[in-house]
Amino acid sequence: MTIGSMIGDILKSFISKPDTEKYPFESSEAPEHFRGMLVYEAEKCTGCQLCVKDCPADAIEILTIDKVNKRFVMRYNVDRCTFCAQCVLNCRFNCINMSEEDWELAATSKKPFVVYYGREEDVKPLLKKATRPGEKSAPKEKAAAKD
Amino acid sequence: MNNLTINPIVALLVFPGGLSLLAFGLIYEYVDRKLVARFQNRIGPRWFQPLADFIKLLAKEEIIPTGVQPALFVILPIVALAAALTAALYVPMFGFQASYGFSGDLVVTLYLLSMMTLCIGLAGANTVDRFSLVGATRALTQLFSYEAPFLLAMLGPAIAAQSWKISDINAIAQTGLWNALVQPFGFVVALVGLMGKLELPPFDSPEAETEIVAGALTEYSGRGFGLFKIGRDIELVIGLTLIASFYMGGIANPIDFLWKTLVLLLVTAALQSLFARLRIDQTVGMWWRTGTIVVLVQLLVIIIGQYFSPVVQPFVQKLIGG
Amino acid sequence: MENTKAPEKFIVAIGPQHPALKEPGHFEFTVDGEIVTNATARLGFVHRGMEKGTEDRNYVQDLYLMERVCGICSHVHAMAFALGVEKLAGVQAPPRAQAIRELIGELERIHSHLLWLGVAAHEGGFDTLFMYTWRDRETVMELLEILTGNRVNYSANVIGGVKIDVNKDQKDALKYGMDFLEERTKHYMKVVTEDETFLGRTRNIGLMTKEQAELLGAVGPTARASGVERDVRVDSPYAGYDMFPVKLVTEPAGDLEARFVVRINELYESYRLVRKIVSKLPDGELTVKVPRRIPEGETISRVEAPRGELFYFMRSNGTDKPDRIKVRTPSLCNWASVLTLAVGHKLADMPMILAGIDPCFSCNDRMVTINRGNDTQVWSWEDLRKYGIAYYK
Repeated sequence: MTIGSMIGDILKSFISKPDTEKYPFESSEAPEHFRGMLVYEAEKCTGCQLCVKDCPADAIEILTIDKVNKRFVMRYNVDRCTFCAQCVLNCRFNCINMSEEDWELAATSKKPFVVYYGREEDVKPLLKKATRPGEKSAPKEKAAAKD
Repeated sequence: MNNLTINPIVALLVFPGGLSLLAFGLIYEYVDRKLVARFQNRIGPRWFQPLADFIKLLAKEEIIPTGVQPALFVILPIVALAAALTAALYVPMFGFQASYGFSGDLVVTLYLLSMMTLCIGLAGANTVDRFSLVGATRALTQLFSYEAPFLLAMLGPAIAAQSWKISDINAIAQTGLWNALVQPFGFVVALVGLMGKLELPPFDSPEAETEIVAGALTEYSGRGFGLFKIGRDIELVIGLTLIASFYMGGIANPIDFLWKTLVLLLVTAALQSLFARLRIDQTVGMWWRTGTIVVLVQLLVIIIGQYFSPVVQPFVQKLIGG
Repeated sequence: MENTKAPEKFIVAIGPQHPALKEPGHFEFTVDGEIVTNATARLGFVHRGMEKGTEDRNYVQDLYLMERVCGICSHVHAMAFALGVEKLAGVQAPPRAQAIRELIGELERIHSHLLWLGVAAHEGGFDTLFMYTWRDRETVMELLEILTGNRVNYSANVIGGVKIDVNKDQKDALKYGMDFLEERTKHYMKVVTEDETFLGRTRNIGLMTKEQAELLGAVGPTARASGVERDVRVDSPYAGYDMFPVKLVTEPAGDLEARFVVRINELYESYRLVRKIVSKLPDGELTVKVPRRIPEGETISRVEAPRGELFYFMRSNGTDKPDRIKVRTPSLCNWASVLTLAVGHKLADMPMILAGIDPCFSCNDRMVTINRGNDTQVWSWEDLRKYGIAYYK
């Protein structure tokens, strides 16, 4: 029967540094297999649409620009994605992966949440089409090969 | 020993009562929260957090619920704060002489300090909300249980100094050994009783957050709630000053005041984080069984000591002076 | 309905919004002074229609939907679903996958019990214990992040196996983490069983005898704390528990303190299991191929969630979408015990008794048909729509 059984903890904490991480001024690294945002490489894609079929949140769409020459563009809704990595598992050509660095995905408007992956010349007309009258700028685009 | 004196009007409004007391109340609340946070291995708030809380609460709308007496609802926080501020006039705040001391002001100060709990009890009983009623009942039950041992513990140094005036007790406590060493039980009971008065954990059953939302103050918001909170902070400062001046060798100057009250605050913060919350029946049981008996034994020892003082005094002088 | 202005009958309603509850639920305690004389509950505030939602999605998508029934038991929901589908399809996942499923299941149990320890301490007013247990919970969440890529909702299961693997660095991190946590847990066991003020809140509170526990149908650590020997991992082992068996942990006392002790002892068992799995992980593949269209059939699948026995009933009809999935979570079984035990205790004990069964409200709200004689009320989709339209007119 002790009174004040946590006294050891209390005294030890008083003289050592607090355990809180002062985010966002200091932030720790994400580990190796962290599931951040999707990254898609259009060159390897064959357009099989297995990733679209099994997505639980309907976050991916593969738009076919040119079926014969295998030019595809992916429209990725970041705000619908649940980061489950089922699409990564389904893809047999390793063209979808999850990034380890892009996980701070907060934004103040809806626009950054629709991401187009693909070649420059394929994405531009889509972006122009996506800009509806009244909107000032088109949704963000990402270049095909990152880092 | 003479403390410095200040013009009474200035003492009432600006320093050491009034505005500076409010400021000190906020500073002590910050120190308390920061210490408790450090004991729990986290960072705690920044220095202006209590001030920010107070300003935010003053800026919010005060909602008067249906079924209450509106006049009573609005007046009670003001009365509580006024009582707390008035109690500061008789206590040697910040090491300066008490501005309006008179013989018998110990009793008056202790009554004024209990006004806050009475106001909280009334505030809770005023509403039709279930949680407030249960909280008010618990607050008044706790008042009845710790008040007697606390008063008796405050009486110990008064008997030793043969006076009812706080300034005299303060002056006499500055000579000789600290009362904390001579009357240890009284010291412990006084400190723990202060925690009961202020409803600090583990005696925070009247405002148990996980059981009855906020106890008696559930319906309060905005200005009323802010005034209750700052009244409680001021009571913390005054209570610590009282205990420091009675038991820790009197308060002679501001530096004395600062370090003695801060040491007491450190001990209080450690006690706050060590224990689980006591149920109201456990609180009452503990106080009426352990607390009262301990402090009565202490008083008995003091009275017997006073009675035999002419015989014992030379020995004690030899021990100290030696 | 009790008369709320009579002086002896006084109803204190806790919830749906209350600082004691982390999730919404409505409890009405009839109080006489501080003694509770009657208790009723009303649930269903977090009903999301998930069982209906499974019928529109194919099995792979449903796996992720079922994972999100609860935040802390997410892995066991996915595991129960995957096991059920594999049973229907007539395949079995390879041993390495089963072992990894068990590994993550035990890590989740550690996470859940540490979280519960903190929350129950907070309900008793012991904030210091709350802060320290949650600080140590960060360790196990980081371990799960290193293994699976996320701190909650691990998405490690696929139908047919797992999608993550364990390499040497992760094994070292796991061993290191388990050592640290075991030392801290020994300290918490001492605090829980020896601290005077805490014992004053937990000893002889919420006493449930063995007969009462069996009558009221309690499951999980709540039942094991009353001496009932019921654990799905031991009674019918699944997913790797035949390779790495677990010991049954019971306590005879039946009060709140026993529930604390049972869960901390289960923590020790989990640490031992994690170390064993990490050192003896069998080799092999991670998944087995499962056809898209699952043949017709019905099956049940039972797993041991951190709160008790989780029960899935699944019916397939030959397509790639399920016909009916019914989930019965452990928290639903334990409510009867709370409502019966609450009578006779003080109001101040209510939050701790509520927290003692480790309630998970979002797991809870599935559809239950109550047969009151011949007064069954079952509504179809159309009835529900009409009622909703009429209500908001």
